[in-house]
Amino acid sequence: MTTHPSNAARLTKDIVGSEYFVLFLCLAVFLAFAPFTPGFASRGNVANVLVACLPLLVLATGQTLVLITAGIDLSVTAVIGLGSVVGSLVMGGDAGWLRGSPLATPMAVAAMLGTGALVGCLNGLCIAWLRMPAFMVTLTSMMFCSGLAVWLARQAVHAESIYNLPPAFLALGHPGGLGALLVALAVLVAHLLLTRTLVGRWFYAVGHNPRASLVSGVPVAGVIVGAYVLSGLFASMASILLTARLETGSPNHGKTLLLDVIGAAVIGGTSLFGGKGRVLWSVYGVLFLTLLGNGLNLVNVSDFLITIIKGGVILIAALLDVWRSRIVRGS
Amino acid sequence: MSQLTRLRSCLPAAVLGLLLLLLGCDRPTGNGTSGANPPGPATSPGQVTTIGVAFESLMTEFWVAAFDKLKADCAARGITMLEAVADGDTARQFDQVKNFLNRGVDGVIIVPKDGKTVIPMIKACNAAGVPVVLYNRPADPTDARHTAVAPDNVAITKETVTYLVSLARKTGRKQKAMILMGDLSDVNAIGRRDGFEAAIQEAGDAVEVVSRVPTDWNQEKALAGLQSSLQAHPDIGLIFASSDFMFPSIKSVLSSLGRWKKHNEPGHVIVGGFDGDATAYQLLADGYVDATGVQDVYWEAEQALQVILDAKAGKAVPARIDDKGFAITQSNLKELEPRMWGAVVAKKK
Repeated sequence: MTTHPSNAARLTKDIVGSEYFVLFLCLAVFLAFAPFTPGFASRGNVANVLVACLPLLVLATGQTLVLITAGIDLSVTAVIGLGSVVGSLVMGGDAGWLRGSPLATPMAVAAMLGTGALVGCLNGLCIAWLRMPAFMVTLTSMMFCSGLAVWLARQAVHAESIYNLPPAFLALGHPGGLGALLVALAVLVAHLLLTRTLVGRWFYAVGHNPRASLVSGVPVAGVIVGAYVLSGLFASMASILLTARLETGSPNHGKTLLLDVIGAAVIGGTSLFGGKGRVLWSVYGVLFLTLLGNGLNLVNVSDFLITIIKGGVILIAALLDVWRSRIVRGS
Repeated sequence: MSQLTRLRSCLPAAVLGLLLLLLGCDRPTGNGTSGANPPGPATSPGQVTTIGVAFESLMTEFWVAAFDKLKADCAARGITMLEAVADGDTARQFDQVKNFLNRGVDGVIIVPKDGKTVIPMIKACNAAGVPVVLYNRPADPTDARHTAVAPDNVAITKETVTYLVSLARKTGRKQKAMILMGDLSDVNAIGRRDGFEAAIQEAGDAVEVVSRVPTDWNQEKALAGLQSSLQAHPDIGLIFASSDFMFPSIKSVLSSLGRWKKHNEPGHVIVGGFDGDATAYQLLADGYVDATGVQDVYWEAEQALQVILDAKAGKAVPARIDDKGFAITQSNLKELEPRMWGAVVAKKK
């Protein structure tokens, strides 16, 4: 009775319209699970949540850059598999080209990053210069990379998995190791690129209106290629993390992550139509999805139901995005 | 205004910090398994109240039967079974196992995707002091402590294929044969292929293998591989599937060629498999399938759970428990049917 209806409406509008809305949701998820879920608030689980979300975090960051330019990159999960196989073939203990050499790990990491950048560059060139739809280009490169990864693995080791990776490489996957540090750095650089640089403003401009951007002197094609190259590079970083963590090179790594990658960006508030989004928002989206999955898993909800719930949440996030946009426009 | 802006810019850091602080507030729990700050419900030493069961997939009847048996056995013993299915994603399974450990389970049963990627999961369980059992798929050689309950794939397959070869020999002419292999990063698939090859080697001139199709345990790939092989060799007379879940694909392709015949009909293609599922039982009973290698899913599940109970009770547990299994054929179907898990499932349906 003490709150005037208009104040309540304003508060709702402030919370829902806030760019930290998803962060508040993370807090709500935590508060909902913590009292009823043994182990949820343990230090071990904190580490687990943080380590588990790293590959998704770096992938969602790359996807955010692409989504802001009004594109989409469906090839990221296939880049993970291809990068994993290429890197493992460079350094792998049984059949690696540089097995036993001290250069094996750095060369493998370089090969993995190079693979991602190359696939991203080809995607970007097809989209920017050949004017092909991003969905079609990245869908076909996903198929191509997936097939190539399996073919390469089978040619080299007559199996799909490559084992006996060097300990120096495996150390990249340790919780709190160099891999985690590099991911955090990459996410920070992407955030600063978008918020503090002219190039960042170009990304938004291209996403808003490529034609007007071109007229204004923005190198539209270069921005688009750059976004896909960064997305490919970030996918390679996820590949390094997953390969090191599982101590195996495999074309199957990351295959089920695509829904989560796009979902995390959308939940964070990045628009599928371009011109709107932030790396920080995607960080919140990743944290939300990971916390939700972790909490549901710990309360013994079946994985099929978890997938259904995640799909529902992403749909609600997309609807909320529309609603929030209206609220913000209205105010 | 500038203060407000500063406050706004600090908000995400503050909320994130609060969240992590809350997350980091360990509650004093413990079952004595994970060192100085163990999570999970408090249990007395040796008592098993919660176990985590992480399956790589529930795609086939075999895995569903195993999952249901573990669930039923846990319920019967008053044990809470936490469940997780990774849909073939090893990274996801690793996270699920770690979730179990954070939850403070008393034991973990894993059906891994392959023998190598499971090793980090076993090591994580070892580090937490939680007993771990690999169900049906053993790990590659490792010093990480665990127990594997798995079938003797080579012996069971060899017995099954030897029976198929004996049927081929009875036809009086050299039969062309093919094998639908599994995912060769899976030791079960390798064992079944090796058992097939061993039986073929002893078969002499009775059969000639003209096609070895990798299926990656994927029914669509099995179907496509079968179609191609039967197009290249229309006179293939013996087909061995490394898992019974491929029988519908075999039926589909042979039916379209008019060659899906019962064992006592002319033009019958000799068909065998591995697992002993309900479909296999029905096809055996109907006379279309000649033999299948049966692994005892219920016995394996009982053993897996018993290992956790024994380990928690401080008893010594073996590193490997072999399911000897058996080949069920048209000749011994009536006699061995009660021991075939697929027959039990089929009759429940």
